[in-house]
Amino acid sequence: MKPWNLYTPEGVQDILFEACSQKRLLEDRLRNVFRLNGYRELETPTIEFFDVFGGERGLIRQESMYKFCDSKGRLLVLRPDLTVPVARVAATRLKNQDFPLKCCYIGNTFSFDELGGGRQHEFTQAGCEILGINSPEADAEVIAMAIEAIKATGIEDFQIDIGQVEFFKGLMEESGLEEHEVEEVRELIDLKDFVGVEQVMDRHKVKDELKTIILDLPKLFGPTDILQKINYDHIGQRASMALDNIKAILRILEDRGQAEHVSIDLGMVQSMNYYTGIVFRGYTYGIGFPVLSGGRYDKLISKFGRDCEATGFSLGINMALMALERQKKLKPFQKEGCLVCYEEGARKSASELCRELINQGIPTELDILMEDIEKTKEYAVRKGLSRIIYVNRDGSRKEYPL
Amino acid sequence: MRYITIALAKGRLTELSISLLEGAGIDCTELKSNSRKLILTDEKNKIRFFLAKPADVPVYVEYGAADIGIVGKDTLLEEGRDLYEVLNLGFAKCKMCVAGPKELEGRMDSITITRVATKYPEIARMYFRRKRKESVEIIKLSGSVELAPLVGLSDVIVDLVETGRTLKENGLVVLDEIADISARMVVNRVSMKMEKERIGKLIQDIRKQL
Repeated sequence: MKPWNLYTPEGVQDILFEACSQKRLLEDRLRNVFRLNGYRELETPTIEFFDVFGGERGLIRQESMYKFCDSKGRLLVLRPDLTVPVARVAATRLKNQDFPLKCCYIGNTFSFDELGGGRQHEFTQAGCEILGINSPEADAEVIAMAIEAIKATGIEDFQIDIGQVEFFKGLMEESGLEEHEVEEVRELIDLKDFVGVEQVMDRHKVKDELKTIILDLPKLFGPTDILQKINYDHIGQRASMALDNIKAILRILEDRGQAEHVSIDLGMVQSMNYYTGIVFRGYTYGIGFPVLSGGRYDKLISKFGRDCEATGFSLGINMALMALERQKKLKPFQKEGCLVCYEEGARKSASELCRELINQGIPTELDILMEDIEKTKEYAVRKGLSRIIYVNRDGSRKEYPL
Repeated sequence: MRYITIALAKGRLTELSISLLEGAGIDCTELKSNSRKLILTDEKNKIRFFLAKPADVPVYVEYGAADIGIVGKDTLLEEGRDLYEVLNLGFAKCKMCVAGPKELEGRMDSITITRVATKYPEIARMYFRRKRKESVEIIKLSGSVELAPLVGLSDVIVDLVETGRTLKENGLVVLDEIADISARMVVNRVSMKMEKERIGKLIQDIRKQL
């Protein structure tokens, strides 16, 4: 007995015709936008060594990776992410390339993380990275690219939230909290748990002015003008520089005409071990999770033996499709294509007509059913074709629109 | 204007949740009318409500099927969902505790606890892994957890303790406190961003009453 032969494993799915063509269309549009903006695509393998992602000080939890062994008994994983492989490539294969380098990718990633709400175990990500440069211009470029990418998917109503991990790290440095307390505060701020943050602060002697700002952190999100409200006097140099950095990036985005969708969230403190500067996320209606995320990660590539600054983002294609579906923005199905049928003896001219139409870019198929016109019509309708052309032996044609 | 959807935990939290919402100017008449409808609305404020089993509330909110949820901290800890926890509503207060026979009092560190009975397997697992750095056998029960150590099913239990009367009457004592529990208001991460103004105002209006 083969009890599972009819099923797919949890978290993976067959994507059939219409959904598949929607997905391809989206991928094509993204690929095109990336290419037009000067990003070159690369492809990395689906399988990587576990050590690339995991191991000591690993970036990705081992529980969330699909693992198996190669013929020598070494641990392999299905890639859980595409930025880390790009970092590996940057430090190894590209070490003689002139930087900065703009690259992009579209590919499937795999993770055992929670399912549901658009999250699958196998999902497609599209992203861009800029390697070898740390400047507000580069960060603004990546955010601008993220905005272009969301727009290319057809999502119109969206918001990009920008934060800066250095702001939080700077405040914590000033506060003099111990490492485990910093982690506790980070978790609480991430949950926007106002009360919890206050409880921790009350246990410690932190300067009142600084304390007020830390307590406000969970609330420091919204339109970009909230940045003006923050008083530089008590936050220390590191956090001040972080604020200046965000402001510089915002000015560039404004000049590029792309500040419209941007807002601020200084309480964005997830993935602190990964990101080193600006961080951002893209949100839209209809789905409970961000559709894209990104930021600056200057330390990642050094894990692979080369110091190299980098910034980038990735967009979840499955998530974007789900949002489009919920927002009823997916292009409705349109009848398209042609079926060429023929009277006995007219096969030659029918197939010539077929080729002609295909060359014009019209999806066309030559009849293989050899049924009467009613049955043939049924087939063509089911297939979503827009017409049938019937070729007679004498070369005349009759057209049946559907 | 879009509807803002609020998921309320069915049970002991429902009534107090409703009175807080009413205090914030939301019309809950439909909600209080004992209707069989699953989704109830306040058309004026464009707010929809539904009641769900407590354990399901964080799920609805995480997926964005509800923007806001009102639910106990015990459920939030157990479900471990990725949400914003914006308000401690302060009611339905109690404590999540480890409890066991009196003989174990003050000797928690000297014995190796092997079996833990609980309705909250995740909370128990997290407590023993993080705080006590122990691997334990968790036995999931659905109710009357106090029974387990009495009949030899487990060594200790992890459960909510409100007054401690049930424990006392059965010869059990609190061995350690895990967390303070009370009702909380949670918000979906995306909704908080996309509907900042309306949700922010609602939070403020509720906070004023606390």
